[in-house]
Amino acid sequence: MSLGDLLPLLATQDGALEIFNLERHARVTLYISKGTLYCLNVGGRLVDALQARSVVGELMNARRGSFEFLPGARAHRCEEPLSMRMDRLLVALTSTQDEFAMAREHLPHPDTVFRATGEDGPEDGRLRDFWERAHGLLASGASARGLAGELGMPLDHARFYLYKLRQAGNVEPVRIRATRPAGGRSQLASRLLNSLKRRFFGQREGAWNP
Amino acid sequence: MEPLKVIITGPVGAGKSTLIRTLSETEVVDTDAAASEDIGKAMTTVAMDYGTLHLGDQLLYLFGTPGQERFDFMWDVLTEGALGMLMLVRGDRPEDLGPARRMLDYLLSQHPVPHVVGVTRQDRPPVWGPEEVALFLGLPKERVVGLNATDPKSAVQPLMRLLELMLAEEESRS
Repeated sequence: MSLGDLLPLLATQDGALEIFNLERHARVTLYISKGTLYCLNVGGRLVDALQARSVVGELMNARRGSFEFLPGARAHRCEEPLSMRMDRLLVALTSTQDEFAMAREHLPHPDTVFRATGEDGPEDGRLRDFWERAHGLLASGASARGLAGELGMPLDHARFYLYKLRQAGNVEPVRIRATRPAGGRSQLASRLLNSLKRRFFGQREGAWNP
Repeated sequence: MEPLKVIITGPVGAGKSTLIRTLSETEVVDTDAAASEDIGKAMTTVAMDYGTLHLGDQLLYLFGTPGQERFDFMWDVLTEGALGMLMLVRGDRPEDLGPARRMLDYLLSQHPVPHVVGVTRQDRPPVWGPEEVALFLGLPKERVVGLNATDPKSAVQPLMRLLELMLAEEESRS
């Protein structure tokens, strides 16, 4: 049974869903109350909303794992409840994963540096958690690899968020400019250009474009 | 005089090896191998192509990068210290524009290298033209030129444009 099939069954339950024997995670515990995920614990560590989306997304694709539901169990310590409606979370993650599969070939290189184009965040609610956490880093330029490390999320998820933010016009790739002083290269460029024109066109002035 | 290198890059099948063969005055050293997956051609570059061009007393090395992304570590090695970069993309394969943009974004966010994009197969319409490709890549239209990589007078256009833009930039700085 996949997590996507299991979670709706627990929508009306209060308790803790423990998932273990996973390939990519230590033991994960989801604390659920009245259809809301209010706390998520990975290997004994509480995660924030952005990380929770990534973890649940990965769990939905997990090929292996065991689970146990503990009715009535509550989190001992949950200072910043997640307040994520399970049904909405699952719908959002399913649509995100469909988009991710379609966009996979177009995701940016992990080390391409992006910069925020302004202060305004994306209108797409699925991107807001990421934007709020990443905006400070993106203000000065950050890559998916850097963001994944800083924010504790899978690299591919960071690449996908940057892809979506770029589509929305919230980020753009940084283009490094040379910092060397002017001079020197203009003579070289002029000399090479004249040589090329002589060589390929037998004249000093060549075509600009065919 | 120190030789200078020009990097020819772009997705698989863009015409990089063809362009270097067309421009090089020496026999091109290539590293083609049989393609292990369906990429639309039987042979593909797996390390780099290498050709030379003497312009007066200046020697230019023409280095072609492999198009497959698993060789992306070579993009950096080859681009470091280059005079400029020519990125080629096939005008009749719009599906290659995404990978081309991805490659371009990566390289330009890592290296301050002068660059021009060449749109190949302009002799085989219908194809995407330079202005359309410039729009997709988010580049000024003067940075994108159309060419036929098998014709020397056409194949040299991206290199000429690169030098013209370098010249214009240097003059605007001074």
